[in-house]
Amino acid sequence: MVNAILKFVACCRTAGYRVSTSEVVDCISQLALINMLNEDEFRSVLRANFAKSRREQAQFDRLYRLYFHELRQDIDLDDTDATPQKMDQLIEQLQKQVRGSENHEAILDFLSGDPMGFLELIRRVQTEEADPEQGRKFNLGPLASRLMVMVQLNDTRSRIDRIIEENPFDYREETRGNLRRRFREQMDRAYDILLREPRPHNEGVQQRTHEQYLGQLGERPFSALTPQEIERVRELIDRLVRKLKDIMSRRYASSSRGVLDAKRTIRAAGRYDGVPIDIRFRKKPPKRGKIVTLCDISSSVFSAARFMLNILYSLQECFTRVHSFIFVNRPVEVTKVLEEEEINHAIVKVLREMDIDYNAQTDYGETFRQFRKNHMDTLNKKTTLIIIGDARSNYFHPEDRILEEMREKCRRLIWLNPEPESAWNTGDSEMFAYKAHCHELRECRNLNQLVAFVEELIL
Amino acid sequence: MSFNDVREVQEKLEGAGYVTSREIATVVFLASVTDKPILVEGPAGVGKTELAKAISRALGLQLIRLQCYEGLDESKALYEWEYAKQLLYTQMVKEKIGDVIAGAHNLKDAVDKIASHEDAFFSERFIQPRPLLQAISSEERVVLLVDEVDKADPEFEAFLLELLSDYQVTIPELGTKTAKVIPYVLLTSNNYRDMSDALKRRCIHIYIDYPERDLEFRIVKLKLPEISDTLAARIVDAVRAIRELGLKKNPCISETIDWARSLVALSVESIDSRVLADTLNMICKYRADAQMVKANAASVLK
Repeated sequence: MVNAILKFVACCRTAGYRVSTSEVVDCISQLALINMLNEDEFRSVLRANFAKSRREQAQFDRLYRLYFHELRQDIDLDDTDATPQKMDQLIEQLQKQVRGSENHEAILDFLSGDPMGFLELIRRVQTEEADPEQGRKFNLGPLASRLMVMVQLNDTRSRIDRIIEENPFDYREETRGNLRRRFREQMDRAYDILLREPRPHNEGVQQRTHEQYLGQLGERPFSALTPQEIERVRELIDRLVRKLKDIMSRRYASSSRGVLDAKRTIRAAGRYDGVPIDIRFRKKPPKRGKIVTLCDISSSVFSAARFMLNILYSLQECFTRVHSFIFVNRPVEVTKVLEEEEINHAIVKVLREMDIDYNAQTDYGETFRQFRKNHMDTLNKKTTLIIIGDARSNYFHPEDRILEEMREKCRRLIWLNPEPESAWNTGDSEMFAYKAHCHELRECRNLNQLVAFVEELIL
Repeated sequence: MSFNDVREVQEKLEGAGYVTSREIATVVFLASVTDKPILVEGPAGVGKTELAKAISRALGLQLIRLQCYEGLDESKALYEWEYAKQLLYTQMVKEKIGDVIAGAHNLKDAVDKIASHEDAFFSERFIQPRPLLQAISSEERVVLLVDEVDKADPEFEAFLLELLSDYQVTIPELGTKTAKVIPYVLLTSNNYRDMSDALKRRCIHIYIDYPERDLEFRIVKLKLPEISDTLAARIVDAVRAIRELGLKKNPCISETIDWARSLVALSVESIDSRVLADTLNMICKYRADAQMVKANAASVLK
């Protein structure tokens, strides 16, 4: 039993879970306490110890089903024909044929009930990062390696059919039928694993709609605004910013004068023989957090991003620090420029002078890679990371695993998408791949949505 | 006080007014046998906090609750010195100071003599225990509920680690205090942010989702014994259909019960679209949600 669990743990680790030794020890000691013949109890013990967040549970369930139900068919009790042994015999034969090819051996191990090698292979395919050394960028990498595995699966399948036809061990016709069926089931499963990557559950993600605010203008999509309307929107933003600052400063002013802190006053009075000379007040509320923004400035998105930056910088004193990056195919830090210049000039200046290749294709994967390499230290547990973009990555590798790393580094990860929700995940949009890793996901097409978001952010 | 097997957990919790699935019961049982904390996650209103209360009722233990929020620190969670009381005592024993330093020849001697008595002012007498210290120093087993731990700061989470792994806390002036009886600890989280791996590793994890149809039906029947089977079934089906609509805030179990209670109070026998519209504010807390349910009344009441 312990062995079976350890093998399962090894599978979990290959599939990308962080399972610590202490958790394995806990799990095994807990199994001794329950009725292991009841599968609900057995599964909940494993799940409680190995998949410790909701987002991991979907994949855990699949792994569990694979490992304890689909691969363990040799425990079939009414099988008098000894099919498993015969399967093993055939697999041994095949192993001689494919010696040397790592992937083929992994597939055969999978057929004989040891999924480790195959899972590792799949994980490599799914999480593969594009080779940064490559001179020309090439976005077919993951697709190609997936195709490769598929070809090898087909190859194995035809080898099996052939060996059953050749019948080296002189089985009866009925046995051969059984074998054929068994192998086919297993191969189908392998295909399934290759093609269907489960998306994690993420009910935590918040998707909110918004109230009506500034009348009609607020509802117009940013991309449809005429130049005059842009000016109007600026005025509206100015007014809004003033209002928000008012609210903020009122809160600070009243709270810094604040309530008398009786305890600390008495304690301070102790120094003057009980006379309360030194009057203490309660402290200010804790400072606002740090903000890091990462804006896509390809034409489709930028109209939304510029208003976002505009508001954030007008409200700078509400946060301890605002860092900004813009990107098309790699991130460029623009914090300095935006701090020094008046915001509208700054935006023009950034667009004209910064080293940005507008003609490049938008590439989110590359942007995340570069961000991880150069700017990861701007994120910490007090940071809110706001990404503004349509997640259209021209079919380049989305690198959603890096986004997951970023999620773990910061306090909250919020994604604002300027496209209507119905267009998400159509064409080259990777929104659903990224969705799993966001704390909050909002459509942000017009002023009302933007305003609702900013208000929630600072108040 | 603890449970003997999973079956018993289910029965006792049901006796305390809390219907569970087998999975939850298994985890509760294991936590009670292995003295590990439980980390409960799930959407709002599925009975995470209620689980802790039910355990305390089922075992007849005291429940100590610590509500977490941003800015919660040790002095609110663990202990605080009672300065006012210390000050009062100082005033009262002022005259005694003469006796203490009697016989001292110089200032240094006098200070040394006073120093040898300073323990008197940093003793348990002047400590105001907060929930965590109460749970640790209790003579009997207690249920400690750390509610909405995801709302607290990461620093506080790190501080919880010492408590959860060794069941001890350190007070600089007094030393380390170890729990006499290991408390039954539950942490609840709304998934506002992810908990650290170190914290997760020390806990048994459980995710409570909206219950299955039968389970929810049993919960309604348990809370409202007078309700008729057909009405309860209709209510549960309708709520399940409403959850499918993708509202801003899904109706949770407690809202199902509230709604059932109000329908019973109105002595309604069957739900039609008029009744639904009249009582909608029991289950929908946003105007947009209510409108959406009204628009889809046909599919909800199917």
